[in-house]
Amino acid sequence: MRLLSYMGQWKSAAKEVLDRTAIVAKFLCLLHVTNNYLCSPTLVYGPSMLPTLNLTGDVVLAEHVSHRIGKVGTGDVVLVRSPVDPRRILTKRVVGMEGDTVSFYVDPMYSQTTVVPKGHVWIQGDNTYASSDSRHFGSVPYGLIQGKVFFRVWPPDGFGTLEQ
Amino acid sequence: MVGLIGRLWNLQYKSIVKEASGKTLAVAKFFCILHVTNTYLCTFALAYGPSMIPTFNLTGDMFLAERLSIKFGKVGPGDIVLLRSPESPRKVMAKRLLGLESHSVTYVVDPMNSDRCDTIVVPKGHVWVEGDNIYNSRDSRQFGPVPYSLLEGKVFCKIWPPKEFGSLMKSGMKDPDL
Repeated sequence: MRLLSYMGQWKSAAKEVLDRTAIVAKFLCLLHVTNNYLCSPTLVYGPSMLPTLNLTGDVVLAEHVSHRIGKVGTGDVVLVRSPVDPRRILTKRVVGMEGDTVSFYVDPMYSQTTVVPKGHVWIQGDNTYASSDSRHFGSVPYGLIQGKVFFRVWPPDGFGTLEQ
Repeated sequence: MVGLIGRLWNLQYKSIVKEASGKTLAVAKFFCILHVTNTYLCTFALAYGPSMIPTFNLTGDMFLAERLSIKFGKVGPGDIVLLRSPESPRKVMAKRLLGLESHSVTYVVDPMNSDRCDTIVVPKGHVWVEGDNIYNSRDSRQFGPVPYSLLEGKVFCKIWPPKEFGSLMKSGMKDPDL
């Protein structure tokens, strides 16, 4: 008799756990879809985008719609998967699209000019003295762009859109 | 009287809307699960074109590609991979992986006109891909090594045409040492 009642209790407890888990799973799914296809907050840090982004880290909002419809252009700050280390995502500015001619300084006295090939973009950090970007690893395929940064959320005194 | 008819109509309308939204939700959930499976587990794709003859036909073969190996770094030379084209970001193509980073790859530069071979060391973070039909394939010999992040899936099984159904084993690959 007692065994039956224990089983009944266990069943209802298991059902409740399953329901709660389903709600959490649905919430995580929605969060994941929003993060990947709409808009996601990202922590970016490092010296390569000074003075636009801080050294110690900014939380920015990046949207993931523009690069899918081809609306990424020169001057945009983008999140790009590093061609050198597939696990890292870089934040750089697009300086040239395909077909553009880009000039850059290899060292302070010698500048080089290249044409960005089809399907690629040329990215550079705003802080050219401390940035590893297309000047070192060349043009980056457009398919590596993950999103476009359009808004800064943290620190509070930097709240707002990024200046050009 | 009019009020009663109005209330009955409201009731019917409400139940119709409820049923419709319930069915739509079920369909949406199904598509969500399909999308998640497609993006993170396994997808099927149709490839056409001459660059992977004889492994794939000219007119198009359907095959299954799984996405986990790429994320865990478990691809190696000899695997057929799906990758986003570095020249046209909206195109996804199927080629054979011949070299990972720091591998030394020897390839025939222009097989239609000469037998000249070239050797290249694949840079860090990149892979070297070639079509099985080197006479008619646009691959790393033309656009260089491809960043690893452009890989999208590893092909493991052909499902159409039915008489060629089966897994695609590494034994079909050409000799990478040439």
